[in-house]
Amino acid sequence: MVLVDDGAMILRLGGGLEFLCQLDVSDASQRQLEVSRSFADLRSRVKAESLVFSLTDSALFIWPNKSFQASLDDVDESTACGELLQSEDDDGGGKKKKKDKKSPVVNLRFMMEITEPTEPSAPCLYRENKKHHCIRMVLPMDCVVTVRSDETFGSSCKRLLRALSTQLSEMEAVTLRHMKDTDVPVPRPFHFSLPTSTELVTIVYPASVDDKGLESFRKELHNRFELPDDRPYFRRSNAFHFPDEPYKDGYLRNPHNHLNHPNIEGAKPYLVQGVYSYHHYMQDRMDDNGWGCAYRSLQTICSWFRQQGYMERTVPTHKEIQQALVDVGDKPAAFVGSRQWIGSIEVQAVLSHLLGVTSKILFVSQGSELPSQGRELANHFLTEGTPVMIGGGVLAHTILGVAWSETSGQIRFLILDPHYTGGEDLQTITDKGWCGWKGPEFWDQNAYYNLCLPQRPKAI
Amino acid sequence: MGRTYVADDTVQKYLSSLHTAGGVCITGLLIGQLSLQRDYVLLSTKTPHRDSDGPGEGHSSSGLLDDADLEWATEHAKQVSQMLPGGMSVLGVFLIVPPELSKEAPSTLRRLVFAIEKHISKGRLWDLTEEDITERVTLQICSKTKKALCRSFDIKDPKSSAKPADWKYQPVSSSSWPLVTCTVALDLQISLPLKSLDDICIKEGLRSWANRIKAAVCLINGKLVADESELVPGQKKNPKMGKQKFQVQVLLQTLEDMGSSAVTQCCRSFISIRGAVHCRAYLQPNKPRAKHAVEAIRKDLMNTVSCRVNMLMEDLLMNEFNDQGVMTGVQPLPHRVFVALPASDFRLCDYVFPDESIADVAERLHEMLDSRVTEESIDSSLEPTHAKTPMSSRTADPIQHSRASKQHIEAPKDIKKSNMQQYYTGDFYIPLLIYIYIYIYIYINRTVVI
Repeated sequence: MVLVDDGAMILRLGGGLEFLCQLDVSDASQRQLEVSRSFADLRSRVKAESLVFSLTDSALFIWPNKSFQASLDDVDESTACGELLQSEDDDGGGKKKKKDKKSPVVNLRFMMEITEPTEPSAPCLYRENKKHHCIRMVLPMDCVVTVRSDETFGSSCKRLLRALSTQLSEMEAVTLRHMKDTDVPVPRPFHFSLPTSTELVTIVYPASVDDKGLESFRKELHNRFELPDDRPYFRRSNAFHFPDEPYKDGYLRNPHNHLNHPNIEGAKPYLVQGVYSYHHYMQDRMDDNGWGCAYRSLQTICSWFRQQGYMERTVPTHKEIQQALVDVGDKPAAFVGSRQWIGSIEVQAVLSHLLGVTSKILFVSQGSELPSQGRELANHFLTEGTPVMIGGGVLAHTILGVAWSETSGQIRFLILDPHYTGGEDLQTITDKGWCGWKGPEFWDQNAYYNLCLPQRPKAI
Repeated sequence: MGRTYVADDTVQKYLSSLHTAGGVCITGLLIGQLSLQRDYVLLSTKTPHRDSDGPGEGHSSSGLLDDADLEWATEHAKQVSQMLPGGMSVLGVFLIVPPELSKEAPSTLRRLVFAIEKHISKGRLWDLTEEDITERVTLQICSKTKKALCRSFDIKDPKSSAKPADWKYQPVSSSSWPLVTCTVALDLQISLPLKSLDDICIKEGLRSWANRIKAAVCLINGKLVADESELVPGQKKNPKMGKQKFQVQVLLQTLEDMGSSAVTQCCRSFISIRGAVHCRAYLQPNKPRAKHAVEAIRKDLMNTVSCRVNMLMEDLLMNEFNDQGVMTGVQPLPHRVFVALPASDFRLCDYVFPDESIADVAERLHEMLDSRVTEESIDSSLEPTHAKTPMSSRTADPIQHSRASKQHIEAPKDIKKSNMQQYYTGDFYIPLLIYIYIYIYIYINRTVVI
């Protein structure tokens, strides 16, 4: 996702701060005060001279609270942030990382210096023999500021320090709000990219409370940021994905982003909104070559719902899909474990049963009539923006968008093909057209087709 | 290929000054620095006399090291190793034997060197790694011919046999040895769960602090230096160059993610260790690398903290038998002082409890290292000091003072204990009032709403 204009960068500061608190065993009323006191102590620690920022993969260390002492001679307060991108590359090994041209991210970690104390005192051991509850957790600090590449490093660090302090206060509020007796959830920050804001918005959620329990909080946030209340923006899975972080599951995301739009006069592109993963034959060590295409298309659709925040559970496997159909009474029990095909109606049933998602079914009696559904499809991508499953002529595919001209009726279909059996190689997938723009001749002109158009649930 | 041990001329002088009477052996320690190419022996000291209850004086007259002698020697080695700064360690042992007992000497030396290594490494917060040199030297000297036989053992391998090694004397100029220093602020928090043992918890707490130190980033003179790069690049051996000094900064890495819930434990007690300690290490002059400096300072830091905490714990444990209840409140940790031995630039160290004096340090140095130092040469300024307990109450009771010193020499295990006994009888009330005041002060601050 592209943030601001060119010349903008993200400075991200992370690290784990140890939170230690002694709670009274008997007096419950003092507990909140104790927790607040521990947070206040942490806030003063991040203001101390011993706080150090380190630029990952480099020899640069900064003391932001100590008149900007730096470990490299050519870096000082007035250094432009853009120059830091070069510092990151120079780690002696000469390993040049290809920087994302859109909103590059500079990662910093904070550390604590334990040498050169400002007020050294004689070493002592202090002991208190009082029964207490000892609460210990590591606060996963994660602060983000968006800076222009010509902004000075000094002022960006000041902003990061303020962000660190603010985040501690927000964590304190979340902890006090959600702690039960001595059960303390870890407050975890998430960053969100909103249409109504140019900067990333950081919200702290308690780790032990799931998305459902945080609904009322999200309502407040939607109000605060003037966002429509029919689609989610603040679920955990809506969190901003930083360009330099690889996806842990190994699936490709939005391979269509690497394609050029077809050049048709008067045609506008209407594309899927948001992020989906490419699911296809032979993945997950499942040999479904020849029969699993509709299943894979359904998985792609589920991955869309998961990453837009509508679904917390993982993308269902073939067996889970089959079991869902048995559970709704659509198929006999023997269906599970078989290699039987499914169609759009089954896809609609599974989406309804596992995700609570309703879908529209479009029927086309002949493949040659698909172009006439141009307006319908364009409308779908405009309003719902979900991937479409199409089945017919013994094949199933996923439609990710259309390029459609209202005047001439000319149309191209953006197809994601689940019949691909190779590895997650973006180059091959785009070059060979496994994800690509196809004309109306792509469809079997005589076969009938059913399309499943999933509808976005109205929820936050 | 055997190891080469380069011993300073002062070591030669010392060893030849030791005389044995009759069939008595003399054991002692060899102290210096291990390095990849060669090992430097900078200092040697004989095992102090032990006033045994039985007949005979000092070491057993039969010449063999019995178990009591062995225990005595290993305890001496441990005490001495605590007096060494970073980079220096007990490299091995020497044994001066009369010719008639020279047959048993090798096996005695072997027993001694393994036992010493085992005892020294107890309670240490770091373990020997692949990078460390595990060879230790044994020097057998015939009391009549003064001939020396040098062998080394690999203490990592309990079955290792003696390997021949080279021993030569050479003046070792201490001024060309780079010095690495830093002052570290301690901040350890240790919680003692309900059904737990004090010393196990404290050990655990020290271990997890030590793990953070091992993972910490160390800057040398303000910069991050690659492990293998030389500290002083392109240096020609120029004795006129002033002593190379390096300042280390230790940066703790942040902690790893812990999961979705805080860990809650019901605890009975809470210990906090705070204050500044001074760390010091010497590096051998032949192309020292950044990683040596960092390792030496890390080890010195871990040693000085574990040593002081253990000393205090032993001390408090002994007092718990005299006094009812477990001590609470503020306990000062021993203070580190540094002193250069005569004819050397290397500074050794010692630990002083608040009620002890510089004279006590001088006494201990004489006993442990067989060396006379003046009180003026003892530098106690490198670390911030505690408020000293008034001296008047001590001098008022000179008999107790000298008795304490005498007990001090008798049994190394009770070195601190005897002084502490006096501490509680003589100076009990003033520190108690201070502790009560501090406890009230902290208690009041805890209940104030911020």
